[in-house]
Amino acid sequence: MEQFLAISLDLLVGFGETLKIFFVTLAIALPLGLLISFGSMAKWKPLSALTRAAVWVVRGTPLMLQLIVVYYGPGLIFGQMLFDSHSAVYITFSINYACYFSEIYRGGIQSISGGQYEAGQVLGMTRSETFFKVVLLQVVKRIIAPMSNEIITLVKDTSLARIITYYELIYFAQRYIKDGGLLWPLFYTAVYYLVFTAILTLLFRWLEKKLDYFKA
Amino acid sequence: MKMLEVKNLRKRFGDNEVLKGIELSLDKGEVLAIIGASGGGKTTLLRCLNFLERADEGEIIVNGKSVYHAVPGEKTEVTPEAQLSFGLVFQQFNLFPQYSVIENLMLAPTLRAKRQRSEGTAETHEEIRERAEQLLKTVGLTDKVNAYPCQLSGGQQQRVAIARALMLSPDILCFDEPTSALDPELTGEVLKVIRGLRDSDRTMIIVTHEMEFAKNVADKVIFVADGIIEEEGTPEDVLVNPKSEKIKAFLSIINKEELED
Repeated sequence: MEQFLAISLDLLVGFGETLKIFFVTLAIALPLGLLISFGSMAKWKPLSALTRAAVWVVRGTPLMLQLIVVYYGPGLIFGQMLFDSHSAVYITFSINYACYFSEIYRGGIQSISGGQYEAGQVLGMTRSETFFKVVLLQVVKRIIAPMSNEIITLVKDTSLARIITYYELIYFAQRYIKDGGLLWPLFYTAVYYLVFTAILTLLFRWLEKKLDYFKA
Repeated sequence: MKMLEVKNLRKRFGDNEVLKGIELSLDKGEVLAIIGASGGGKTTLLRCLNFLERADEGEIIVNGKSVYHAVPGEKTEVTPEAQLSFGLVFQQFNLFPQYSVIENLMLAPTLRAKRQRSEGTAETHEEIRERAEQLLKTVGLTDKVNAYPCQLSGGQQQRVAIARALMLSPDILCFDEPTSALDPELTGEVLKVIRGLRDSDRTMIIVTHEMEFAKNVADKVIFVADGIIEEEGTPEDVLVNPKSEKIKAFLSIINKEELED
């Protein structure tokens, strides 16, 4: 029993590291994704083409490979590591998720009727006022379901960070196999992920309800 | 002085010349009805007046002041003042769904006041709210102040849209087929509001298919076909004793449809 508590607490520390990846990634990728979606919708063709190509590369290659490239790449090319493992994880995850988010945003933004922008214009509102005061919340309402999918995937993708020596929950659990032949902590990690995704699910359901008062 | 003068307004989309030199003028308090078959350019004309489309050529003068003067090949900027000389009520209402009725009315004036705050001329929140409540009274929706658009009927939504447009005090209020998206039993309440606005001397331009309404409310009717004003005059002249063959054909189709209804 004492061992169970001790290991639970130790894994909780590991899960803290997992959550760090999760929150840092969200904090950067949520706004960055919006910027990228603007890029891919830009009227200036070279910008939209470039952005779409970048999104294609990021979405078209495994996140694990991207982690390796960002972490080891500079060392192999310049003979000098650029990022420690934590920075490399934050950068890679943020860019990767921002690209996925950007496509969800783009779909949401383009689904809003042009009439909303036109109404804003004839009422003397600027384009950015119309976007941020009128369109954005309608977009949020429409993209909750696909965003919750992505964000729940992110919780579990954090376990990839281990391969460039970012010590997160799975790593903490695997140590018990190596050090003392204890197998159960690895399986036990599932509980942490499940509890956290349950909280997220409830949060998204609450948000959906909260925006239920209007139709968009 | 004329309230509105439009001179030689031209607009093309690619190879398709949609407006071929429109000329019109309106006195203060006059109501102009624009009729014509779809694709004839009447909606484009209205959209050009509201700068949702930029006319390629021509001039728009409001109250003696040139607010838009386009020269072919040059990009013409639209100032905020020019934009707010006109108000527009859309066929599909285009209310902001996440805002309550009163918030729909107050949003644009509030943002404008925020922009003007540095100049010290801004309207206060209370003043804006008072005006909004007043206008909701005018359109008969005092009991819907806090309702959301999805809780309103089409006719009610359109009346909110009218009040919202009036919040910006446009010199000329435009309507793009204001009752076309409504069930027949709801058009009456919207037309009644528009009639009320005419009685309070508001200058208005209405694109409409409601010939009876045009006859009753408009001081002036223009029939637009193939990008030009094919016929213009009093409702009597245009709708009862039309001269050109095109408008006779148009009216006979409309009348037939109304009989079938």
